[in-house]
Amino acid sequence: MSSQFAISTRDLEKDYGEVKALRGLSLDIGAGQFFGLLGPNGAGKTTFINVLIGLVKKTGGDARVFGFDVEDEYRDVRSRVGVAPQEFNVDRFFPVREVLMHNAGYHGVTKEEAAERADEALRTVGIYEKRDTKFTYLSGGMKRRFVLARALVSEPDLLILDEPTAGVDVELRRALWRIITDLNDDGTTILLTTHYIEEAEQLCDEVAIMDSGRKIAVASPAELTQRGTDTLRIQLSETPREVPDIVGTELEAGSIEAVTTEGREVVVTAKRANAVAPELVRRLDRAGYRATSIDIEPASLEEVFVDLTGGEDESEDDAPESESKRLESPEATT
Amino acid sequence: MSVVSLGVRALARREILRYVRMPRSTFLPPLVTNTLFFVVFGVIIGERIRSYGEFSYILFILPGLVVLGVTAQGFQNASFTIFHGRWEDYIEEIQTAPLTYEEMVLAYVVTSALRGLIVGVLIAGVGAIFTLLDPDVATVGLAHPLYVVAFVLVVSVLFSGLGVIGGLWATTFDDLAVMNQFIIRPLVFVGAVFYPLSILDPLWRTVSLVNPMVYMVDGVRYGFLGIAEIDPNTSLVVLTVAAVVTVLVDVWLFRRGYGLTE
Repeated sequence: MSSQFAISTRDLEKDYGEVKALRGLSLDIGAGQFFGLLGPNGAGKTTFINVLIGLVKKTGGDARVFGFDVEDEYRDVRSRVGVAPQEFNVDRFFPVREVLMHNAGYHGVTKEEAAERADEALRTVGIYEKRDTKFTYLSGGMKRRFVLARALVSEPDLLILDEPTAGVDVELRRALWRIITDLNDDGTTILLTTHYIEEAEQLCDEVAIMDSGRKIAVASPAELTQRGTDTLRIQLSETPREVPDIVGTELEAGSIEAVTTEGREVVVTAKRANAVAPELVRRLDRAGYRATSIDIEPASLEEVFVDLTGGEDESEDDAPESESKRLESPEATT
Repeated sequence: MSVVSLGVRALARREILRYVRMPRSTFLPPLVTNTLFFVVFGVIIGERIRSYGEFSYILFILPGLVVLGVTAQGFQNASFTIFHGRWEDYIEEIQTAPLTYEEMVLAYVVTSALRGLIVGVLIAGVGAIFTLLDPDVATVGLAHPLYVVAFVLVVSVLFSGLGVIGGLWATTFDDLAVMNQFIIRPLVFVGAVFYPLSILDPLWRTVSLVNPMVYMVDGVRYGFLGIAEIDPNTSLVVLTVAAVVTVLVDVWLFRRGYGLTE
């Protein structure tokens, strides 16, 4: 059976007693995509992955990998999936090369080919010289590399990476990015969960934002960024005595969220700052203010993420609101 | 082409290598313990104990000690490897592999049973050496070798299968110790390893017949010595049914994800 989707779920539910980890999650991830799954802790990302690979039994709904049902056709699913989990779950009795050989063997690879694949995977992630070392004795970064090697040794069509760069230094993170980008270029579908928004922004074709077991949004990073609010800074020739009342009804409804002042600057947060900037400058001019420069800071995926998930970053909640006019709606400002 | 898949063979290889490479903690302890059993019960005390029929006491206890070794090692191996895999999470390597649940159980049970069999052979070897060293004692023989093989195979599979259940059920290392110390070992010691049923009062003899270990020891003793207090064929059938049911329960538990998926 083949499917245009590497992963397809409908109304996927998972309850742990009273706790609902997944609440009717429907998601399609195309074959060959580099797909990111973002969400705060407890969003249900790892549960979602574990349902796909058979470590957790779903409570309801449907989940398929390359068209195969994850429970009824579990062997077809598992033969196509490689997983690098967030928590280390490696056999510590054997040197890492042997662990890879065993894992290749579990996937039906002959002993001879398993040895070749193990060596190749270790070279790919750059720890071949540690092949005779047990997992316990690898450094943290090497352990991260190893779990990726283990996911690769079965040559999967779908590679699932659950926080693969958590706690690794910048150099290793970029090395891991290169490896998985190359794999994706060669046709492997990648499902990446990450806390590093920058990682999703740089690597993923499409991302889904999850919160409390639900899908909040699915789009490309660029599309999601457009949903965020840009920051427009208009430098005035002199410091205004009060926040200028420059928001008119003729401006696109809902596009401006707040107007504040910071010294000689008027700071406007708006959905599409470049679209409203000319009109705002004209309004300032009519109000007697002269703009000397304009700077637009586009929204980041991180800001969109925080907006959509209610904000994980406490510093956001602690931000002072002095000198700001928080706008509930455009009408409220007019 | 082999009927055993490459996946099963890989898992079996992993399991066997694990215990073969650690003989000091897998094979040496039962070897030392049983040597002590033979020294104390077979030689020192055995010489003062009335012989059982035509057989010396050391020959009488040897089949029971073989059963003790086979059952303990089969159970211990299966329960430890599964529990430790769960404890350290690396059993997920197996859970996420394209093996059927039957294949997973097959690999765990067969390799654990093999460890039990190896230990059983070692114990029989140690017993044979002791009988060879004593000119007054007849050498260990095999009165009914097929019965020895059949009983030891069935017993090792049964206890390996029980070990799988134990490994899935346990939530701490203490649970493993409890199962071994308070269930398996007492059954063995009151399982007619060191005494014949015929010396017991009728009440205790009847009570003893509830203990499955009695049938195992008696059956293996029949294979080695040609003497039995219970019909060996009946014992073999009952134990075979028990082993098959246990393995089916193992598969059901794996399929259900008991101890594995939540």
